[in-house]
Amino acid sequence: MANLKVIRKRIGTIESIKQVTRAMKLVAAAKLRRAQINMEQARPYAGRIHGVLNHLLPDIDRTTHDLLTMRPARQKAFIIITSDRGLCGSFNTNILRQAESIIMAAGKENSKLICIGRKGYEYFGKRGYDVVDHYADFWNELNFSHATQMARAVTSRYLSGEFDDVRVIFNEFKNVAQQKIAEYHYLPLVLEDDAEVVDTDYLFEPSKDEVVKSLVPRHLNIQMWRFLLESNAAEQAARMTSMEAATNNAGDLIDRLRLEYNKARQAAITTEILEVVSGAEALVE
Amino acid sequence: MAGQFHLEIITPTKVYDEGEVDYVRAPGADGAFGILAGHTESIMALAIGEIKVVKGSVEKTYASAKGFAEITKNGVQLLVESAEPKGGIDLNRAQKAYDRAKEHLNRKKDEMEDELRALRALERSMNRLKVAEKK
Repeated sequence: MANLKVIRKRIGTIESIKQVTRAMKLVAAAKLRRAQINMEQARPYAGRIHGVLNHLLPDIDRTTHDLLTMRPARQKAFIIITSDRGLCGSFNTNILRQAESIIMAAGKENSKLICIGRKGYEYFGKRGYDVVDHYADFWNELNFSHATQMARAVTSRYLSGEFDDVRVIFNEFKNVAQQKIAEYHYLPLVLEDDAEVVDTDYLFEPSKDEVVKSLVPRHLNIQMWRFLLESNAAEQAARMTSMEAATNNAGDLIDRLRLEYNKARQAAITTEILEVVSGAEALVE
Repeated sequence: MAGQFHLEIITPTKVYDEGEVDYVRAPGADGAFGILAGHTESIMALAIGEIKVVKGSVEKTYASAKGFAEITKNGVQLLVESAEPKGGIDLNRAQKAYDRAKEHLNRKKDEMEDELRALRALERSMNRLKVAEKK
């Protein structure tokens, strides 16, 4: 029967889709583990730098450091971190939608974009935004030098006066099931108050100013590194959950089709028996 | 003996916990300096260079990039953007980075930013090679 054959074929197709999604889920889980280890290892360094900077900044004249001085924000820049690849649920859609509304609020003409990850570049590049820089194809071999390279590029553009205010929009890793879109004020440097408090009276060598001058770029590098790690972990977590859901859906679909298949088979057999019986009865009469 | 203190070398990707040590020499921005137990609490900017750790009769060396040293009553933390123990330096990679930076410098003289970057890369790779080859 044609119907039986069709159903059998569909079951086969879904079976192989299920295998693919399950494999993708396992790969994402492994990558997530690595990303979490990276995040764990970056934490002590980031925490200390943040703590010391926090301790120093109240005593420093902000206007003597270009990266600390507030300027009237005429040109704004947004760094948007997305993934290179899809199949990770609403990971990219959510951040792109939110980024777009933030940029709209700031004024599209006064905004320059730096896209990290191919998805963001494709999205904003097509829609006539001013994308001044983009990075892609590095997520697989992500390392600290990527972060320093990006931080340095942004800083030099900022110092040349290309823009006066830099925000980073990225997916923050909350837990495996949750990502939160976060907006962070990258430049000029402002610190939140949640850093560890350092109340030691330090001696500074060569001088307080020199230490700040060398500390600020270090801080920007590690912050960029943190954004990349957070986004990477969030991406893998999103992919893992959505592939898990896809695998489950495929399983449900297979169950349903199998039921349908059995019913169709049973119906076919019944019809055949009916034909035989009625044929035999016709002969008797 | 002046006693020992706790030393950690912290990078963005790894923490080297050295435990209790006797002496550290670090590459300060204004020249190398040594730290013994009981040092004044201070924060010092570090340049690219070599960190030497002395623990009893054992000596260890690291090739390190920029960062700073934080000295407190509880111990010393060296926060640097990269640190590689002497035996763990990838000579091949350092040599390649050295050659690349050299070539870059010879070719491009026009762009300031590029030149600065190449210079810094050159400095880092030279430091790795120097530390690795030292006895």
